[in-house]
Formats: sequence, C-alpha cells, structure tokens
Amino acid sequence: MTRALWWRRLDHVQPLLAGMLAVLGLMTVFSAHADWGRQVLWVILGAAAYVAAASFDYRRLRSLAPGLYAGMILILVAVHLVGHTALGARRWLSVAGFPLEPSELSKLLLVVVLAAYLSRGERVSDRLSDRLSWRAFGGALLLVAPPAGLILTQPDLGTTIVFLGVLFGMLFLAGASAWQLFSLVFAGGVALPLLPYLLHGYQRRRLEVFLDPNQDPLGAGYNLVQARIAVGSGGLFGQGWLHGLQGQLGFVPERATDFVFAIFAEEFGLLGSLVLLALFGTLLIRLLRTAAVSRDRFGELLAGGVFVMVLVQVVENVGMNIGVLPIAGIPLPLISYGGSAAITMLAALGLVQSVAVRRRTVDEPVAELGTITRRAQA
Amino acid sequence: MILLGGSLPRARWSKRLVAAASMAVLIIGGLAVKLAYLQVTDGATLAGMARDNTLHRVAIYADRGIIYDRHGAPLVTNSPLWNLEVVRAGLPLEARARTGELADLARITGEPEEKIAATLVAADPYASVRIGPDLSQAQQLAINERLPVLAGVSMVQRAVRNYVEPTVFGHVVGYVGPLNEADLKRLRPLGYQPGEVVGKVGIEAGLETVLRGQNGWADVEVDARGQIVRTVGMQQQVPGHSVYLNLDADLQRATAQTLAAGLVRDHRTAGASVVLDPRTGEVLALVSLPGYDTNLFTHGISQTDYSGLLNNPDRPLLNRAIAGQYAPGSTFKMVTATAGLQEGKITASTMLNCPSYINVNGWIYHNWASYSLGWMNVAKALATSCDTFFYQVAAMVGDVTLAKYARAFGFGNAQSIEMPGVMPGLVPDRIWKQLQCGVPDLNSDACRWNTGDTITFGIGQSYLLTTPLNQAVYVAALANKGQTMKPTLVHEVRDASGHAVQSPQPEVTGTVPASEANLMTVREGMRQEINPPYNMNYWFRANGVPADGGGKTGTAQWGGSGLDLPTHAWFVFFAPYTQPEVAMSVFVERGELSEVQAAPIAVQLMRFYRDHVAAIRS
Repeated sequence: MTRALWWRRLDHVQPLLAGMLAVLGLMTVFSAHADWGRQVLWVILGAAAYVAAASFDYRRLRSLAPGLYAGMILILVAVHLVGHTALGARRWLSVAGFPLEPSELSKLLLVVVLAAYLSRGERVSDRLSDRLSWRAFGGALLLVAPPAGLILTQPDLGTTIVFLGVLFGMLFLAGASAWQLFSLVFAGGVALPLLPYLLHGYQRRRLEVFLDPNQDPLGAGYNLVQARIAVGSGGLFGQGWLHGLQGQLGFVPERATDFVFAIFAEEFGLLGSLVLLALFGTLLIRLLRTAAVSRDRFGELLAGGVFVMVLVQVVENVGMNIGVLPIAGIPLPLISYGGSAAITMLAALGLVQSVAVRRRTVDEPVAELGTITRRAQA
Repeated sequence: MILLGGSLPRARWSKRLVAAASMAVLIIGGLAVKLAYLQVTDGATLAGMARDNTLHRVAIYADRGIIYDRHGAPLVTNSPLWNLEVVRAGLPLEARARTGELADLARITGEPEEKIAATLVAADPYASVRIGPDLSQAQQLAINERLPVLAGVSMVQRAVRNYVEPTVFGHVVGYVGPLNEADLKRLRPLGYQPGEVVGKVGIEAGLETVLRGQNGWADVEVDARGQIVRTVGMQQQVPGHSVYLNLDADLQRATAQTLAAGLVRDHRTAGASVVLDPRTGEVLALVSLPGYDTNLFTHGISQTDYSGLLNNPDRPLLNRAIAGQYAPGSTFKMVTATAGLQEGKITASTMLNCPSYINVNGWIYHNWASYSLGWMNVAKALATSCDTFFYQVAAMVGDVTLAKYARAFGFGNAQSIEMPGVMPGLVPDRIWKQLQCGVPDLNSDACRWNTGDTITFGIGQSYLLTTPLNQAVYVAALANKGQTMKPTLVHEVRDASGHAVQSPQPEVTGTVPASEANLMTVREGMRQEINPPYNMNYWFRANGVPADGGGKTGTAQWGGSGLDLPTHAWFVFFAPYTQPEVAMSVFVERGELSEVQAAPIAVQLMRFYRDHVAAIRS
C-alpha cells in the first residue's frame, strides 16, 4: 500500500476526536489532583499502542483469536490467584512494578474474540442483515460466560456490565433475531431477582442507595449525592478549570476515576459537558462509519464492538455521575485516570483505524475484493 | 489495483448500523437533557448545597468582662478550658476504624458511645461539634498524645468563669450558665445562640448586657474531611466591659467570716448582712449565708449537686440579703418614733409610761420585760426598746400614717440594686388587709384591720416584712438626714481599653418627711442604746468598742401569733454618730436574742471596718 493511499483511507476525524478527548481528560485528571505526570505517560504509551494497532493488519487477529481468548482466561485466573486487593476487590496484577488491571484489557480482548467468532464462515452473501443461527448465538453466550464470571467474582460489577453490553450489542450487529435478543433480555430479567445474592454487600448497598440516595447521605449514598451536587453546581458555564468547590475540596469521591465526569461538569458547566458528549457522540458515529466501510465482516464487527464498548462505558459513567444509573466502577473512556484503561482504549481505537485503513475499496462484489487485492499484491 | 485513482466507495450503512447509531444518538441526547435539568434548572440549588458543604460560620465568643471590687481585686476570672471537638466528615471512612475511634473517644471522655454517635448524627457533618464533658488536666495530656491518630478530632479551648471565693462573693457576683429553652426564646432577638452562656443571678445577670461583649465569627472554607482550608471572612469579637463594684473585698470577706463565726458560735446556719455608705448608697458588703460554690454551675452542675442545693434546708441558693423577707421587730421602732414626733403626737420630752403590758379592748399586749420600766421619753424608750411605749405611739399615729412613714424609709420597696431577684418586703395597712380577702368576706375579722394590728405594727410585727437590704437603706436614711439613697453595687463600668463608659452617681430616691430635729431625737435614742447609762447592749462595752454611733436591736417573732414564738435576731447600726459613713444591717435567722447574737457581729464588723479604713487611709 502506498503512503498516499494509506493516507487517503485513514479516518482522520477519529484520531482527532480521540486526541481532543485525551487532552480534556488530562486537564480534568490534573484538576482532580491525580498523578498527572503518570497519566501523561499512559496517554503517550496509549498513542504508541494506537499507532501499532493501526499499522497491524486486523485480519491476522482472526486466526489469533483462540490464543487471545486463552490468554484472557489465563490473566483473569491469575488475578484471582496472585492479584492485589484494593477497596475490597482483587483486580490488579503487578507487571514490572506497574499495576495492571486485566479487566480493562479483557474488554478489548472480548470484542476481538466475539468479532472473530461471530464472523466465522464468512460468505459472499453473508451480510450483516443475515440471520444469526441459534447455534452461533448459544456459542457466543458460552464464550462470554467464563471471563464474565471471573470478572464478576473479583468482584468487578462495572466490567461485567460492559461485557454484557458488548455481548448484547455485538449479537445485534451480527444479526441476532428479535427472539434471540429478547431471550437474552428475558434471561436477564429472570436473573435480576437473583442479583442481590450474587452481589457483594457494598454492591447491594450501592443499588439500594441508587433507589433512594437520601437514606444514608453520608454513608453509601454519599458518592451519589456529592457527585450530583458537583455536576449541578457547574451550572451553565461551569466554575472554571481548577475552581470547582466540590472537586477541589475533595467532596467528590474517586474524583479522578469513577467520578471524573462530576469534576469536569462542575468546572466546565453544561456547555463543556455538551461539548464532551458531542465529542463522544461524533467518535461513536465515526466508529460505526468504519464498520460501514469495512472490507469484511470481522472488521465490521470489530469496529462495531469497539463502538459498543465505548458507548456502554460513556453511558454508564455519565449516567451514574448524574444519578440516573446505579454506581458501578467504570472509567469514562479517555478521561478517567488509569493506565490500563487509557492504553486499552487507545489500542482499541487504533484497531478500528486498522479496519478503516484496510477498508473496502470497490463497491461490488465484496467477496471478490479480497481475491483481487491479493492478486494485485501478488 | 483497480479504481485506485477514483473516489472510495460510499459507506454502506446497514439497517443495524443505522439502528445502532440512532440508539447512541438517542441515549447520549437523553443524558444531555438530564444534564441540562441538573445544571441549569437545579443548578442554583445544587450550587447552594455545594457552598453549604464547604462554607461554615464558626462563632468567636467574646471575652466576658471581669468583675472587680472597688480596689480592683478581681472577683471572677476567665480561665481556659479544653474540650474535644469532632468533625463527623473527618472520621475514618472505613467502618471498623470509625467505630474503633468512637470507642476510643467514649473511653477517653467517659461519655457513652451511643450518646457521642447520636450527637454527631444530629450535627452538621462538616462542622466541629463539642463532645463529652470539660477535660481534666490528665485527660488533656492523654488526648494530646493520641491526637495525631484520632482523625477528625481536635481539642478546642474556650473560656469559662472562675469565681474567686464563691462562698464569700457568690451571692453578689452570681454565676453564668448555659442558655435554657426559656432564656433562648427571650434572648434570641439579642443575637444569643444555643450553647452560649448567660448570667443567671447576681451581677452576672444584672449586668449581662454590659459583661457579654459582642461575639464575632469567621467564615471558613473546609474540605471534605472538615479541615479548614482558608478563612473567607471574619468579624472580630468585641470583649465585654469590666465592672468595678462598690464592694470592698476585704470588708465583704470580713463580713462573711464574722457572720459565719457568729452563726457557728450560736449554732445557727443562716444569716445576712448589708453594709452601705449612707452618704452615697454604695454597697460596701452584701453577704448572705450559707453561700455555695458558684463554680459548680460554670462547668454544668450535676443533678446530684443541684438537687443537694435545692433540698438543703438552709436554702443556700436564696440570697437572703435582697430576697429574704422577715419581720423587722424592734428595729422598726425608729419609724414609729419618727411618725409620732413628726405628726405631733409626742415630743422629744413627752413622758409615757412603760408598763409590763397594756390592755386594749380586752386584749393584752406585753412588753419584753415582766416589770414596769417607769415613765420615759422617746429616746429612752428606744434605748430600752420599750414595747408598751411604742404600742401607745402606734395607736396614736394610726396604721395609715405609720405605713406612710415606713414607705418613706424604703420599707415595702424593691430596691433597684443591680441584680435580679430583689424582694420588696411588705408594709401592711387596712386597705392591704382587705385586699387579702375576697369581696364577700369584707367584714369578717380576718380581713378587717383591727387595733391590735396597728399596735403590733408599731413594734415591727403585725404583717410587716423587710429584707436585710431594706433595713440597711432604712438605717442609712436615718444616718443621712432622712434621705434614702439608691443602693448601688456598681461603681464604674470600663471598656477593654480601660475607659469608663458608665459611672453611676449617687441617687436620692426619697426624703423622709421629718424635721432634722425630730430625726436627731431618734438618732439620740439609737446612740443611747449602745452607750451608758442604758446600753442594754453590754456587748459593746464588753468588747471595748467606743461606740460612736447609733444602733438598734430587734428580735422579731415569726411564724404566727402567740407568746412563745420563734424569733429572728436583727441589729441595725450606723457610725460615726456625727458624720456617719457606714450603715449596716445584721440578720441572724432563728436568732433568739438580738443583743446576744446579731449585735456582737456588728461590733466585730465595726472593729474591722475602723482598722481597715485606717489602714487604707494611712
């Protein structure tokens, strides 16, 4: 591929959006008194991961998928065996002195594995509108169950929610029928009453205070109440960068990670928040557009999977910050403090870029495209 | 490659991709709408809540003014006291550490853990709340060591009143205590806040507004752990004014000690004495016994201590000097004498018989002596305290006129001294007695004034009541040419920089309608009482005091009517005779013989006063 061609196929908007979000993220993390220098390093490492992923031919991931899946299970088991415990959950592995959060990485691995699985046996007519067999549907569920179980028992409710969201979204994009999707929702509905027994004490408490935040405003409801106050006191224009009362004086808990949006909203106001949401919205549409120009189904599902992964995290994080969703530990993509999340997210976007760069170049017929290209390359 | 140079094919948006995109736009749009509500519609309210979180007003209590005696000796000081304060938000977040710390605090302060927890739950989470009682020296040291590991806990200093010799000065100085519900309701408009102290009795209460000063405040910004980040605004406190009393601490102490010694000697428990400067009305000493430890109240008195004081049969909380009301007995005879002389019923040389009893309408009224003392003038009648003489004078003058003179001398008047709780005593007359009954009983014997009431009125019995303060004002008026002076405790009020802001001047409250000659006659009787040849009060001679002055004993019956009633002992006195500069009343509750019990105390006091004044002048 010539450099000019590569440049033309590149999705220029997507890295621009990612860069803007990362800059806003660094500003907010700085304001939240987190280890800013370290976060800059993470973003730089993430940018490297982005470039590496974009240059890597995503199609080779298909054959690597079984290995990636095994690796994912392996590190999740390792977390259970030798992981570090913090805040009552065993989530971290120590890699060369750095704390690594495998559940972050596993989100991307899941997208890759599911995309590979759901695009098996790709045929000429095998477009996304085609139906997904019940067999493939069941297979996908079986594939997701072990890692999801390992993560839920860390316990990490947030990542589990992302897993389920990604599963549901990718099944939809892979052509799951209304019945299949409904059965998934129905199974969830049946499992819901069991939730209190599956959840840890503090997770159950979080759910209860979400339903009634004022029952214990200084205990379990504290985070919710304080985040709401911070967001609200931002007003239309915000209190200005580094000048949010709630955030600067530490009233907002986990201000650099789970509740980073509250810090942002307090300091930049409704206008800033709308800009942030617009950036995320545009990024999401760009991800879907890459799916729409992808040369094969794997690429399409890869881009679609990353889309779902970003969407679920943005919605859950912003939702819990403004009190419309219960609290679960999920970072705001590209904004929250944390190396594993930042690097994983940028790598994921890089993979989507890889799909964009290797996009479909001829309208019809799709299947022949590969042959022609291969022949041309030969 | 084909189509290399041409445009790339258009993106192929499948239905599902479009659905996914629409879903994303919808959900994010929904979040945006919710955000707009939160930040714009509820924004002001939530911003207010943010300010409530961070901005706190801390009261800076004003230094309460000091109370001094007339020579500048402090009668109360402000001493520092330490308390534990806890910021709820500053407690450890982790539940186990939190309960552990609460248990620690409970152990250190001796306060039940549940009570501490309840106090904290009720309070503003980011404000510092006082918990537990005042800390002892040992507790202070113990906590100081542990403070670094007790998150959210601080030791805070405040000033408390420390009263000097409370049993001597307590009834004058009074005490402060925490505002109760009723106080708070009354004083809220003046800016009092819950948790403040207020003067309850004595000068502390009477000059509350002067002593209090003006509290200041500081608006501080605190972080989520309740730590003060910075001070946004501040209003300094204005210290209260100092009060200089007319009281002479040495004389007050001597009065208390002499009275106490006299009570002990005679197996009595309660008494009072007031010493005035008759020329100005300045109160030089004001003692009520028994006293009590006013310092108990400043630290929050315990229920046992308080009920002990309330149930004590000697009623230590009663300030007898201003609020104890008793019949004056024979000390009242100067009023009867003045009335008889001034109304022309008798003259200085009128001779009346002094039999052992008189018979009025079939009722027998006895003299204190069971034999006749013979014919005598009014001065001798005073000197010998002849009851039958004054029965006759009282009958001549009549109850209404007698009451008029009594009131002129300050009887029945609540003196406007600078402390609350002053009682007026009682000057009875026929109208008063009728008012005691309902209208239908107007003509019954119990309601109608009879001659016997008038006759006993003349020797200070009947329904007549007075207080040691009224007695002192009365004898001071006799010494001061018939002018009653307003008794004043306060000499001067000075602000923090020492400038006088109030200097009460002597105030004449009334003049007895009697000629100087008639008053001279009465005073002559008082001089004779304590001097040869009549000095029935041989104690003066026995103690070798040159009694240059005038005095009058009184043994007042109380508790009903009859012959063998319990009595109170009185002695009123002024000196020196020609230019009096001191007037006093001495009262012994349940004293049996005034000349044995009350008078010797006055003698001791006079002796001290003479030496004391000589020492000051030299």
